Amino acid sequence: MNREIVPGINWIYEAGPDRTAKFELAERQPDWYEPGREAYIPQCAYLVEGDDETLLFDTLSPASTDQILETVDDLVGDRGLDYLVVSHPDVPHAGNTHAILEEYPDATLVAPAYGNDHELYHLDDARKVADGDSIDLGGRVVEFHEATFLDAPVSIWMTERETETLFPVDWMGFPHLDEEALLFVDELDGEFDVSRLVEFHGRVLFWYQYVDVAKTTAEIDTLVETFDPEIIAPAHGLVIRENAPEYMELMKDVTRAIDEQGRIGTLG
Amino acid sequence: MTVSVTPSVEWVSQCYNHGETHEHVSLYLVRDGDDVILVDSGSFYHREAITSAVDDATDGCGPDAIILSHSDYPHAGNVSPLGGDTEDVELVASSGSPEQQGLPDARKCKIGGRLDVTGRTFSFIDPPLADRSHTTWIFDHGDGVLFTADGFGNYHEPGQCRNRSSEFDGMISTEQIYEYHRDNLVWLRYVAPEKVERTLDRIFAEFDVNAIAPVHGNPIDGDDIDVYRDRLYDAMRRIADEYEVD
Repeated sequence: MNREIVPGINWIYEAGPDRTAKFELAERQPDWYEPGREAYIPQCAYLVEGDDETLLFDTLSPASTDQILETVDDLVGDRGLDYLVVSHPDVPHAGNTHAILEEYPDATLVAPAYGNDHELYHLDDARKVADGDSIDLGGRVVEFHEATFLDAPVSIWMTERETETLFPVDWMGFPHLDEEALLFVDELDGEFDVSRLVEFHGRVLFWYQYVDVAKTTAEIDTLVETFDPEIIAPAHGLVIRENAPEYMELMKDVTRAIDEQGRIGTLG
Repeated sequence: MTVSVTPSVEWVSQCYNHGETHEHVSLYLVRDGDDVILVDSGSFYHREAITSAVDDATDGCGPDAIILSHSDYPHAGNVSPLGGDTEDVELVASSGSPEQQGLPDARKCKIGGRLDVTGRTFSFIDPPLADRSHTTWIFDHGDGVLFTADGFGNYHEPGQCRNRSSEFDGMISTEQIYEYHRDNLVWLRYVAPEKVERTLDRIFAEFDVNAIAPVHGNPIDGDDIDVYRDRLYDAMRRIADEYEVD
């Protein structure tokens, strides 16, 4: 499944398992959930196409090897794939790296410069990128940024300059209901409920329960000022294409909510 | 050759060299009667040494079960070479989405629950120190060993590769603990360390821990746990204090 966000940037989507029972949604009835519906935390990859070259950001999980290969092939066709960027070597993000590079042996593997054990992830020969590095695809330039809110130390965020799209990887993910797959947030019924963001960050970014709220809030201010994006394309949520900085501001409420409530639950 | 941690838990020590410092990328072996259970499987980088060590330790029979703390490659890199993809070896993991984690045939353990594996009882603990969301700490009720995956690690010097904590001069140093957690649990820069400490207090109150078995550090003997925790707290405080938001 995929959808064009803007010409030249495609969103590639993997649903993963229905989380309704695991998250005890029927019993807990969080504000964002509607009884009787299924709920998913998606896995997303993004394809950026310039005039000259193409770039894939993340790979989906090993459960979707055929899907990512077929979708990328459909989208790039004879142009082929020039860059495969791994945001971090977590299985659901990087699990198809080998399969994609087998299909596109001339593609350059791009990996975060951060961390110190690339060899343990088969990333020692990758092109390493750090904050401020960029790749010009011809008419589109992607830029790399030190990942702020992360789990793995070998991590990187990305932006695309022309469309001012921020790819914040594990940050700003959230669940969606069954029929909301591949909808933009502005296409959802009703007002976006911040409890979706709380559900995700209270489970997946497990360390949110321990944060210094003032410091984290200040960091979010810095991120809004630094990026001020038009579009936010998370790895585990729906794409936000309207009023994006306001959703970043919502993350302050998320921080405070988890500080008060504690851990929402586990993902595993 | 393994290193004994407790009467029935052995350490399969492997190191990754960062230049003048080393980082362990280890696994553990639990003996339960005639059965052998591995906790984690190590990195592909050490595959030959690990399969050889496990082969030696099991007289060529291999393990009966593998319990994974999580699917991260340095922990799950040798599942297949150790037989974890066969019917002869039970594979246990915590993920709520095993297919997405590349472990479609794993028996699921519930974080917060307990499970008997080949007849031995393990508890699965939501870890305060980890580098992936689906990580579980694993507590062995047989010998009271807490397997802490990416938490409670340390860098070490050449020559300390097979030391238990009590074999260090003055125990594992605060600097070694600090440098490991600074580099690998980067998110500690945002935390209030006392919140992490409260969770650790609860875990150590609930479980009678005789030894700590980290993947990325030297095993910590029971008598050294309080000293390690004090040094860990100092390290967490330093990591948080050193990071200032622009």
